Amino acid sequence: MNRETRTPLKLDDAELRSRRAYFEINDEDLERLASLRAFGQTHLDDIIESFYRFILEHHESRVFFADDTSVQRVKRLQKEYFLGLFSGVLDVRYVENRLRVGATHERIGMPLRIYLGAYALYLRLLLVKLGEEYEPSLAGMHFRSVQKLVYFDMSLAVDTYIASYVETLGRHQAAIRELSTPCIRVYDRVLLLPLVGTIDTQRAQQIMETVLVRVADEQARVVIVDIAGVPVVDTKVADHLLKTTAALRLIGAESILTGISPHVARTIVQLGVDISAMYTKSRLADGIELALSIVGKRITQVAP
Amino acid sequence: MSREVLSSVVMPIAGEDDVVLVRRRVRDLAQAQGFDAFATAAVTTAASELARNALVHGKGGRATVRELNEDGRAGLSIQFQDQGPGIADLERALAGGYSTARSLGLGLSGARRLVDEFDIDSAPGRGTMASITKWKRLY
Repeated sequence: MNRETRTPLKLDDAELRSRRAYFEINDEDLERLASLRAFGQTHLDDIIESFYRFILEHHESRVFFADDTSVQRVKRLQKEYFLGLFSGVLDVRYVENRLRVGATHERIGMPLRIYLGAYALYLRLLLVKLGEEYEPSLAGMHFRSVQKLVYFDMSLAVDTYIASYVETLGRHQAAIRELSTPCIRVYDRVLLLPLVGTIDTQRAQQIMETVLVRVADEQARVVIVDIAGVPVVDTKVADHLLKTTAALRLIGAESILTGISPHVARTIVQLGVDISAMYTKSRLADGIELALSIVGKRITQVAP
Repeated sequence: MSREVLSSVVMPIAGEDDVVLVRRRVRDLAQAQGFDAFATAAVTTAASELARNALVHGKGGRATVRELNEDGRAGLSIQFQDQGPGIADLERALAGGYSTARSLGLGLSGARRLVDEFDIDSAPGRGTMASITKWKRLY
């Protein structure tokens, strides 16, 4: 699939049925819409011209249309969209087509409010034309069917925007994850791993890999793991810490756990987790002192 | 004694992010109710264990977080419901040190020790319902 047709969403038959039911689009509506095809054809050019006149009059929507050629191109696509309302068919292909339209607008960076505003404009233009052509009660029934389908389309558009935002969010989270595992060399053969935030499985694996590679590269003897910035230390986090300690020991490095607050200490004990495999120090400074003693160094007072 | 429910929120547990959201909500509510740091850490950690259990063993489910008031005493209760295979040997799982997922196996037993009230109902094929309650300390 190329970029042009890519949509992050899929709607299967069951979902389509339930959504159709929620918008109360029945076969009668679809038949009515199909019967309006001639009406749609007749007013097609007129409505599309009014539509773009409005859009180009408004600065916030005009900026998305660079030049006359692009306006001509989207007008053609818009006509396809418009006639699609009167196809009388609402199937998976219809939905895919609508989702693609939504994804295209999202990709060019059009804000959702501009997009939704255009749907409202569509309904206004259609209401005027229906009122001119049909007597009030019939126009009302026709309009109701059109409105159901347009609102259905709007729901799909909103979904494509949300799906795309969620995707972006996921990408950012992955990026933050990568950034958030700094491994600092505090002294020859002494590394510091300050952990901040939530440690989930994915992050724990990444932490372990990062620190193992660094320890091997620097031939480190000690890794200080500071958990002052970890809000919750549950058995999962403790398990990760213990596994990292075991792996580090295999390549000849000791681990020192620092930054344990009093309430985290008590929670760990109540959980029944045994972390005696790790050296522990309350303060980072004490951890550094212990690390230095392991590599045979000492911090001493010098005369001023 | 009358137990009053002040608020109730249902949260889905479908991924690790949801586990984080559940425990963040529990922590925020515990702090808002004036729990001390120890009680806040305890109920948050217990919620974290049970939410993860629902996710890992129960293939997802939901958590219902309730703020309670019992004769002027603030409390927090969280109920976890999953549709997983259920726990075959509940006694063994509660004893601790037993795991079907190659972990520490301390989640259930640890969570029980961290809270004031603990209730669990599970059987093969019926899923698991676990419920915890923590009260604000009076002194």
